[in-house]
Amino acid sequence: MAIKLFTLIFISLGFANLSSAETIKIGVVGPRTGSAAAEGTAFDEGIALALDAIRAKGGIHGSSVEVVFEDTGGGPEKAAAAFEKLVTKDKVAIVLGESHSSAALAEIEVANRYHTPFIVAEAWADAIMEKKYPSVFRAGPYNTDVVNSTIVQFIKEGHFKKVSIVAENSDWGKGIGALTDSALKKEKIEHSLTEVDQNAKDFYPSLNKVKTEKPDLVLAYIYSFGLHTFVSQARELSVSPNALVLDGAGPPSLWGEFWTNVGKAGDGELFISPMHESVQPNAEAKAFWNAYKKKFSKSPSDYKIRSAYITVLLAADALERANSTEPSDVVNALEKTNFSAPTGKIHFGTKQGDIHYHQWSPQMLAVQWQNRKQVVVFPKNVATGTIEFSK
Amino acid sequence: MATKSKRSIKWLIGISIALAALLLPKFASDYGIHIAIISLFYVLMSSSWNLVAGFTGQVSFAHAAFAAIGAYASSLMAIHYNLPIPLTIVFGTCIAGTLGHVLGRLCLPLGGTYLSLVTLSFAEILRIVITNEDQWTRGTMGLQVPGIFRDYSKTKYYLLFLAITVFAVLGLNLLIRSRMGLRFRAVMDDEIAAASVGVHTTNIRVLAFTLSSLIAGLAGALYGHYAMLISPDIGSLAQMFLILAMTMIGGLGSIEGPIFGAILLEVLSEQIRSFGEYHLLVFGVISLLIVRFAPQGLAGLLRRQRWKLF
Amino acid sequence: MNGLVMGAIYALSAAGVSLVAGVMRVINFSHGEFYILGAYFSYYFSVSLGLNPVLAAVVAMGFLFLIGLFIERTLIRSTYGQPMQSMIITFILSIVLQNIALISFGPYPKKPPAFSEDSVHFIGDFNYGIQRLIAGSSSLFLFCLFYLFIKKTRFGLKIRAVAQDPQMAEAVGIHSKRIRLVSFGLAVALAGAAGVVLSPTFPVVPTSGEPLTLSAFVVIVFGGMGSIRGCLMGGLLLGLAENFGSAYISTMYSQVFGFILLIGIILFRPTGIYGNKI
Repeated sequence: MAIKLFTLIFISLGFANLSSAETIKIGVVGPRTGSAAAEGTAFDEGIALALDAIRAKGGIHGSSVEVVFEDTGGGPEKAAAAFEKLVTKDKVAIVLGESHSSAALAEIEVANRYHTPFIVAEAWADAIMEKKYPSVFRAGPYNTDVVNSTIVQFIKEGHFKKVSIVAENSDWGKGIGALTDSALKKEKIEHSLTEVDQNAKDFYPSLNKVKTEKPDLVLAYIYSFGLHTFVSQARELSVSPNALVLDGAGPPSLWGEFWTNVGKAGDGELFISPMHESVQPNAEAKAFWNAYKKKFSKSPSDYKIRSAYITVLLAADALERANSTEPSDVVNALEKTNFSAPTGKIHFGTKQGDIHYHQWSPQMLAVQWQNRKQVVVFPKNVATGTIEFSK
Repeated sequence: MATKSKRSIKWLIGISIALAALLLPKFASDYGIHIAIISLFYVLMSSSWNLVAGFTGQVSFAHAAFAAIGAYASSLMAIHYNLPIPLTIVFGTCIAGTLGHVLGRLCLPLGGTYLSLVTLSFAEILRIVITNEDQWTRGTMGLQVPGIFRDYSKTKYYLLFLAITVFAVLGLNLLIRSRMGLRFRAVMDDEIAAASVGVHTTNIRVLAFTLSSLIAGLAGALYGHYAMLISPDIGSLAQMFLILAMTMIGGLGSIEGPIFGAILLEVLSEQIRSFGEYHLLVFGVISLLIVRFAPQGLAGLLRRQRWKLF
Repeated sequence: MNGLVMGAIYALSAAGVSLVAGVMRVINFSHGEFYILGAYFSYYFSVSLGLNPVLAAVVAMGFLFLIGLFIERTLIRSTYGQPMQSMIITFILSIVLQNIALISFGPYPKKPPAFSEDSVHFIGDFNYGIQRLIAGSSSLFLFCLFYLFIKKTRFGLKIRAVAQDPQMAEAVGIHSKRIRLVSFGLAVALAGAAGVVLSPTFPVVPTSGEPLTLSAFVVIVFGGMGSIRGCLMGGLLLGLAENFGSAYISTMYSQVFGFILLIGIILFRPTGIYGNKI
């Protein structure tokens, strides 16, 4: 009996991988469980659309493409293990995805160890690209850029006088919180910075502190459902609508549960997003929008659907040009990327030591919920309305 | 009955397992070796938890927390003071052992339920402290940890884990079969009777508790330097549940039970990985059934069957 | 203020744990999971089936009572007199229920409709959410009901008798088996009641149960296991301690204060403020 058991175990260890050579595998990492599991669903939809597009073109040089989506649970440990599994068991040619900075920071170490090409889609911490790993790319926003070209500009344009920054204690929250803090210091705009626990349910103590500062804008760098709790409790303590609340991440304000969880407090709330129905800069953007509507018979809400879609297509494009699954060939092809995506032309910087090294980021918008309708209020050239202050 | 053939079968089993274990890196993929290493980590964890739960009858909820202590202590020493890693592992192990000893001294005299509640609180406090002192530990963001070997090799890690696990399990086996082991069980079966024949119950329990925290600390430290990344999750209650389930399913209070259980559950959870969240539910239901209907676990079931066979 | 409201909430959440610990000598690890089930049930009855929220709450509690009876019969009854065994079983059960909740209700928070999203304005610049006040006062109300039930009814008397001395109770003709069964069902229903009352303020996710169980443990150790008065005192103390702690020491450590108090009390006064030792 014991022998049987052990043989069974060893067999399953030894022959754990049996992959066919005909298909090219693309690995995706992202949260499918845990508090941000909604992102997993968004990624799933984006991947499905991208696979449709690739299939319509006849695959990559005739080979079909398979996506293996591993769950990270949003945590670094599980993320590193998931990445390792994709490389060692599934033998994927390239990995992409991620929407948690802490998880991405763990994954880039594994990517670097195995020289696996990795495109980060939605993890914003600057630190991810600061290590300058040769196989790591990012085709998505990063904190410095979001703060300098979106948030600070938005604050200046809206003439906000007093800003309270509330940042969760994650790599993303701490990073973007500190960056905003120093950027506002440079601009000489009065502000404060409060750190909150990313798993907190009761924001009363922090909000009471914020309230004494009498801000006219609260920057909430809180991800996931914590944001909903924060927004509704801000209203309970009448921090809002005296002050507007800006969700510095975006997706939580677009999740289906947003309105049930925040109720009235949601009206007037602002959030960051690179995507809006009225902002369609090119044919690719329209194609994505229509394809989504056709497949899911609703409009895309979470912009991370589109991020996943873009990154899968980007990876397929690189694999096609590389005509090989050798890591070095794929990295070379990625460096020569010139890809028309719904967010614009994607190309990566190749100068070592530059902040744009292997980095590309889209223009972000600020959107406000006005009577449960999304109104783009920033930047001016694409705005569909103006900021509504408390009535 | 046929004791001679029984013994030779035992030897045969032992030698083939040892050979298979040694040769594993030769024919398993990197992924296979990875699972084997994680299995060995869990063998260490559940065997040492079993020492307290299975042999002295006390339920500690801080076992995963002690692994976290070992992992963080060793990693922080290696990162901030640049000490050689074997030394920091010893340091992490000792810290876990010392804390285990203090905690055991304080609450073992109070008895079962209170020990459980205190260890539970201790584990939670530790988790919150690690999460919040992020200027040191990087909290939930995860701490990057240097590896043991200069060039990364799964085979080397595997052999190291294998050596330490074999050593620890043989040690535990010897201990349980010694006079001390008799006292352990005496304490569990009948505390009052044990005390009346001169067994100092608290001392015995503290000893077991300290030893078990020591091994957990060692396992945690090794794990940290292997995974090269640690987060407060290694000390979480979910992790604790896994250790508990492995021990219960394998067989509480036996030497081979936790080993079986740990390897079985780790391999199984990799196999049903694609089902995502279902694996905890499956393990939970299986362990509920086992605890309710076969408290001796798989080891107990096997033993009963062997009696029938011979 | 927030401390007192949270205190009442904690007291109600811990009442079931206290009852089970007192009557059955069982430390119920899965209490928090019954709490989230209560919240999910009331969410589904009121949102999906469109029942009146109060009616939905009552139905949810009824369901949980039955679930409690079932679990007592199948899992808990065989472990009487073995506190370790029952703790392990309820611990595993908590993981099982958590994952059942995850699979059947999904990972997203569920928030039954709130009665009010506004806040009341107190003197000066002080506001407080009405819904949270409702949660606090209904917690207190339910807790008092439970208290009166235990202290003033014949059935409550029987429960107390079994808690004090099961053999003696048996001798005077009380079916201690049945009392335990009903007590467990009652405790589970109480957990469900807490879920019903609190979820409009704190939407639940499948993992919300764990912190609740832990704080309930802190409360019953404070108040002494099995003491209902102690439960209320313990709840209020914990609410205040967390609130003052986070106001004056650190918000990040608010939970830690409870655990430190728990360890301190166990080490120096294991019987709690009022109660009795298990």
